Amino acid sequence: MKWPRGLRLGLRVASGALRPKPLLGAFVALGIAELVGFFVTSRRKPDFADWAALVGPMAEERKQGELVVVAPSWAEPLARQALGDEVFPLRDVARPDVSRVRAALEVSALGERASELSGFRETGRREVGPFVIRRLENPSPAVVVFDFVDGLGPTQADVRVTSPEAACLWNPNARVLAGGLGGHPTFPAARFECPGGPFFSVGPTVIADQDFRPRRCLFSHPPARGEVVTRFAGVPLGTVIRGHGGMYWILERERKGAPVALAVRVDGEEIGRWEHRDGDGWAAFEMPLGAHAGKTSATVEFFVSSKNHAHRHFCFEADTR
Amino acid sequence: MSGVKLTWKDDLVAALLAGVVMAVLVATVGDLGYARDEGFYFHAADSYRRWFELLFANPRAAFEPKAIDNAWRVNSEHPGLIKSLFALSNLFLQKKLHLFAMEGTSYRFPGIFLAGAGVGLVYRWGAEARGRIAGLFAAIALFCMPRFFYHAHLACFDVPVVTMFLLATYCFWKAMREGGSRWPIAAGLAFGLALDTKHNAWFLPILAVTFVALCLVRDRLTGGDVKETARRALATLGAMAVLGPLVMYALWPWIWRDTFARLGAYASFHLNHEYYNMEFLGRTYWTPPMPRLYAPVMTAATVPAVTLALFALGLGVRARARIQALLRARAGKIARREGGETDLLWLMAIGISYGAWVLPKTPIFGGTKHWMQAYPFLALFAGAGVSWLVSVLRGELRRLKGANLRRFARGPAAAMALFVVLLAAPIAETAGSHPWGLSNYTPLVGGAKGAATLGLNRTFWGYTTGAVVEYLNHEVPKGGTVYVHDTAWPSWEMLQKDGRLRKDIRGVGAVHEADFALYHHEPHMLGQEYQAWVAYGTVQPAHVAGLHGTPVIWIYRRKGR
Repeated sequence: MKWPRGLRLGLRVASGALRPKPLLGAFVALGIAELVGFFVTSRRKPDFADWAALVGPMAEERKQGELVVVAPSWAEPLARQALGDEVFPLRDVARPDVSRVRAALEVSALGERASELSGFRETGRREVGPFVIRRLENPSPAVVVFDFVDGLGPTQADVRVTSPEAACLWNPNARVLAGGLGGHPTFPAARFECPGGPFFSVGPTVIADQDFRPRRCLFSHPPARGEVVTRFAGVPLGTVIRGHGGMYWILERERKGAPVALAVRVDGEEIGRWEHRDGDGWAAFEMPLGAHAGKTSATVEFFVSSKNHAHRHFCFEADTR
Repeated sequence: MSGVKLTWKDDLVAALLAGVVMAVLVATVGDLGYARDEGFYFHAADSYRRWFELLFANPRAAFEPKAIDNAWRVNSEHPGLIKSLFALSNLFLQKKLHLFAMEGTSYRFPGIFLAGAGVGLVYRWGAEARGRIAGLFAAIALFCMPRFFYHAHLACFDVPVVTMFLLATYCFWKAMREGGSRWPIAAGLAFGLALDTKHNAWFLPILAVTFVALCLVRDRLTGGDVKETARRALATLGAMAVLGPLVMYALWPWIWRDTFARLGAYASFHLNHEYYNMEFLGRTYWTPPMPRLYAPVMTAATVPAVTLALFALGLGVRARARIQALLRARAGKIARREGGETDLLWLMAIGISYGAWVLPKTPIFGGTKHWMQAYPFLALFAGAGVSWLVSVLRGELRRLKGANLRRFARGPAAAMALFVVLLAAPIAETAGSHPWGLSNYTPLVGGAKGAATLGLNRTFWGYTTGAVVEYLNHEVPKGGTVYVHDTAWPSWEMLQKDGRLRKDIRGVGAVHEADFALYHHEPHMLGQEYQAWVAYGTVQPAHVAGLHGTPVIWIYRRKGR
């Protein structure tokens, strides 16, 4: 059988395609380049010890209450270890978003930038060893009048369930409980305890959202029947009630649970109803306050319910702005 | 670049390579914490060890169905051979001979031994098929793959099945090449050992049958000896079909009763394996479809680039040799049949090892270890590439004027010089990866930091607890409690048996019950880090450890403790 001319030609070209001398040089170069690459990448700053150098400069740069964001985000544990809870308070680390942030300090390493601050304006910059500290300002920060997660406590809030009607008692020294992998978020020591056991409590905790980012929120597991109602009294109001809701992503990603409903009433009038469906992740809601806007003192109630309460580890945060 | 007839010197080199590998692994094993799966296998091995003790003391009682079932039911989702070796090693080398400084090393030693044997076998096969330079380079290149180096330490099945798969393929190759009865029997026995090691061995019959079919087609097209090929294939495949299952049956007491039901349950476990979480390029995959690019990208990100490039060169060199042979055969310059089986078999072994992992429904929970049985073959092609480069270098040196340079071309110095250049990076990367093997990435993706930025998995299996024992021993108060997170209980206990972790430190299974909380980083585990924040009232880790400035494991400490 005679082979086609093209095939014969192709095979001849292929058989002579390896050019020995250039290839030898290329492999010697590659071996050296990879070795150099290894030393460069493995010794690239910052190392663990370098983060301590940020303590002084950050104390000088950071104004009280300013958000600190680390880029790349995977390095944040090192920054938290070096700078501590004062620079990284839980409410900042597990923030709902950055819409209310006026100014932030971005600690950048390896040339990385924090994408969530991309709309912010750079107003200052300082280099500290392998780090760049940038002062960034939000061109249009929201003015939060009241934060409902911060406001949860016996002085301004109470919690009840509706079916059967029962009060949930404030316990500042409840037993802290953490659910482990795939389990519930930690039930904090200070929380409102409803009938039915520790799952039926309302208190501030932190969940992992769809990107496994931390979100601080009020754990508010719906009861088997009726609703769990968290009421805040004497709340100054802005023009909207805005917030987010969700649950530990491992629980909701299978999309098998029933939707969770969140209704908000202001001085007895329902101003909005929002539904969280599995797979929504950490999702935002916003409810206009209409005629209630601007009140200096109002009663705000959050009603949480679900048609099937199994594994509904619902958690929400809200503010009025 | 043809192979050589092996002599006792090659056996000596293979043995020396195996010995060096074992010595390095034993010397470095003490730094490495215990992976989750090792913990389960310790538990299983202890159960089997008790059965062996009964067997030696009272064989009649040991063969009672109840005694067998009680002992071998443990971890019956995996075959028994390697766990039996863990058990026997612990029984004889540790409990009787006290060979090792740490109890855990006795369980790990069979895996270490098989890693050494695998490296030695790569040398043998490489030398036999492609020359001694190719064999030597391939053996070292395999050992200097950081992920292989990590797994080679463990009391797991992943490196043992690499060796068993390689052994079975080698015996099959010899049987098809040389005929006779010795190698077919060896192939059957090796297949049985592989079957009783891990289910990766299920790919071997597919590999063997497809290879035989292709050889027969080739013989028919090129006028080869179809009858002889068929005769050898029949003998080899027959031996594998008969001896393989027999060996597996003989060495796995669990299937001595209810054989088919139990084999069915074993197969079903792996064919319907649950999906775990795995981070890849910033996304956590936990259910199909899995990313098809996972295996190729992870290979490129974890195997030294120079080794991969040499593999590509080896493929190119071998492809060129096949094409040239074909052209010569067409021109009537040589006999039509001129081998090519070795290249085909190696390439098919690589293909079949990766095959399952490019399917979107195959779970990818175990990272690179799933297709690690391809790595010896990848190294063998790399060895072929190096062998060709050495011949090029020698040719270039011979053309130079200086007599010294021409002498340099004749001796082993040229090869050694190239070895140094081509192995320096793999050796440095492998040494630098320890004891953070699963966190290690090559410079191609920017090392550990680059991989973290790309969103590649930083660790799994909870083995890095071993890297923070010094902190725990120093900081945890007497009788204090530690949340062990992803560390398996038997793995935690083995650290204490080893004397690496203080015995008074109590491991607990919940963050809220502990004074200290470990956190092994994987994105889907982050919820547990947040649990510690709320439980302990702090987001400040007390201790962070990891590789090259990249955090892998960190520890929270309850305030005031």
